[in-house]
Amino acid sequence: MNTASPKMLQCSDMTVLERQNACLKWQQEQLQQQQQQEQQSYFSELSGVFSSQVQGFQGGLVSGDSVLGDMVMTRQVKPDPGLETAWHEMEKVDMAAMGFGPCGYSNGPDFDMNYAISRTSSCPTFVAAAVAAQAVEVKGKESIVSEKMGSTVGRGSFKKRKVDTLQNSKVVAEDDSKRIKACAEEGESKITGPNTNKSSSSNNKNKKETSTGTSKENSKVSDVQKPDYIHVRARRGQATDSHSLAERVRREKISERMKYLQDLVPGCNKITGKAGMLDEIINYVQSLQRQVEFLSMKLAAVNPRPDFNIDNLFAKDVFPSCATNFPAVGMSSEMANNPPYVQFNPVEQVVSSCGLEMGINSLDMALRRTISAPVSIPYASFLDSSCFTQIQPSATWDVELQNLYNVAFDQEGSMPFPSQPFTGTLLEKQNWGPELI
Amino acid sequence: MRPPSSLKQEFLKKWIMGLQRCSTVKKNMSILERKKAIKLSADVAMASARNGKTCWSRAIIANASKHGSDKHLVEKILGPESERLIAKKVSTGALCNNRIRSKKILKRSWGIRRTRKCAPQVALASFIAKWLVRKRTKVLKSLIPGGEFMNEVCLIEETLDYIISLRAQVDVMRTLASTSEIVNHN
Repeated sequence: MNTASPKMLQCSDMTVLERQNACLKWQQEQLQQQQQQEQQSYFSELSGVFSSQVQGFQGGLVSGDSVLGDMVMTRQVKPDPGLETAWHEMEKVDMAAMGFGPCGYSNGPDFDMNYAISRTSSCPTFVAAAVAAQAVEVKGKESIVSEKMGSTVGRGSFKKRKVDTLQNSKVVAEDDSKRIKACAEEGESKITGPNTNKSSSSNNKNKKETSTGTSKENSKVSDVQKPDYIHVRARRGQATDSHSLAERVRREKISERMKYLQDLVPGCNKITGKAGMLDEIINYVQSLQRQVEFLSMKLAAVNPRPDFNIDNLFAKDVFPSCATNFPAVGMSSEMANNPPYVQFNPVEQVVSSCGLEMGINSLDMALRRTISAPVSIPYASFLDSSCFTQIQPSATWDVELQNLYNVAFDQEGSMPFPSQPFTGTLLEKQNWGPELI
Repeated sequence: MRPPSSLKQEFLKKWIMGLQRCSTVKKNMSILERKKAIKLSADVAMASARNGKTCWSRAIIANASKHGSDKHLVEKILGPESERLIAKKVSTGALCNNRIRSKKILKRSWGIRRTRKCAPQVALASFIAKWLVRKRTKVLKSLIPGGEFMNEVCLIEETLDYIISLRAQVDVMRTLASTSEIVNHN
């Protein structure tokens, strides 16, 4: 990380901004992935900073800047070539909006951690005051650190608090930066988190700064979009070897799909980070699988035979009357041998016909074809006689199935079936509401 | 993507078919046997609704086809495509094993190389995070049928599809259970 910063400082290129504008979305996605890495890399940098030189220090702070999502955008700072000088300029800029500025930075040893630590504290404005108060004191870094930690975070192990405050500050920084309008052409946009901010250049610069985790070479690969290859641009400060590129593509694919999963799994919106989301996903899949087990057990318990629905959906008084009808209908040989199962015939025919034409209508037609004799049914009063003379024996089953299709399946398709009133009663009997999707 | 209701319809139909097959084969099943039959038919029906496009569905079908008794159930539910689907899974299974073995060897060699390069002050947090992710990926692989053979990207895609199917399955089963209850009470 220390070696990267001078290079970054020296090579500025406005054209990079323009080129990188094209890859905005892709990079935004990458941001989320990188945030995790940034946290860790920042963490390691901070620990290294204590013992490092000034330059390394500044380099570390540059990345620290980005990690914390400073409101650099409002700094009106010139782009990279002026990075170091810009820092001087920034001293004059009003820091109030951002809460901190690298004013302490510019030179040397006294600068430092004060700043980094103050940045890690939760509120930018608070930090500004703190920074101003403690301006340029040449103290032992450790003491300053401990003071800062005490003032902003509280006592405790440094590293542990670091991670927490990092996350806190990240969240706060993200919120703040969302409020600030993106100044797309600002040179030193070191904003990290807020993917919602649409300044591509700021994101791009950000990438530049946050690339400390990966191997360091400046590279600009021109971006060519072709359908057969996946052309990946290596961003500034990142390696160009195929392994890293491929890995980056793979990481982005994964993060994209994790986003879909976030929408799918309830309660995943607040969780960022792969490990937490994986945990939620695992819990959800396990709970769904357990539900399936439980429901199959319940079904097995409720019904004496596996093919329960057919049995139960035919009302008992319907059964004897059905038996006479079936010889008139073409029965499959299998069914013919099993009188107790004779009521399955319409179901099977219906089901097979449904295999050809999906939809309730086909169910209707098949039923009308197979059953002919009218039979009194408990629910006959609800049914329209013109439609139902032919299908009354199986009306119960039909109605039940219709119910399922209607109620649970979002009323799909046309339902000429006049059992709507019946459906209504069934609906009242039982609360389908929460079970509907 | 198909609307969810059509997925459910298809699932229901195939499930009913499978259940009929089960009941004709054996009568007087105990409750546990019934439950197994129900669950198996439901799973296979769900898998067949995907028409062999997803890995998990193929895995379910392959597992079910291994045992002779269940094979007929699978064939009945799948219909004419059963041969194609089962054969497909068998061929990919063998390839997958080889691929996995070579991947594991590669990963091990990379890991060794990396640990030597890393500086001692690499942050503990990142190490822990990676370890957590790896551990949970393993758990997820054990949950998704046929998941051991997938790389991460595929795993997440399969998880997505599997979750959708599971949800549909649960909904259909739940409505059926409630319906049966009502009918039984009447």
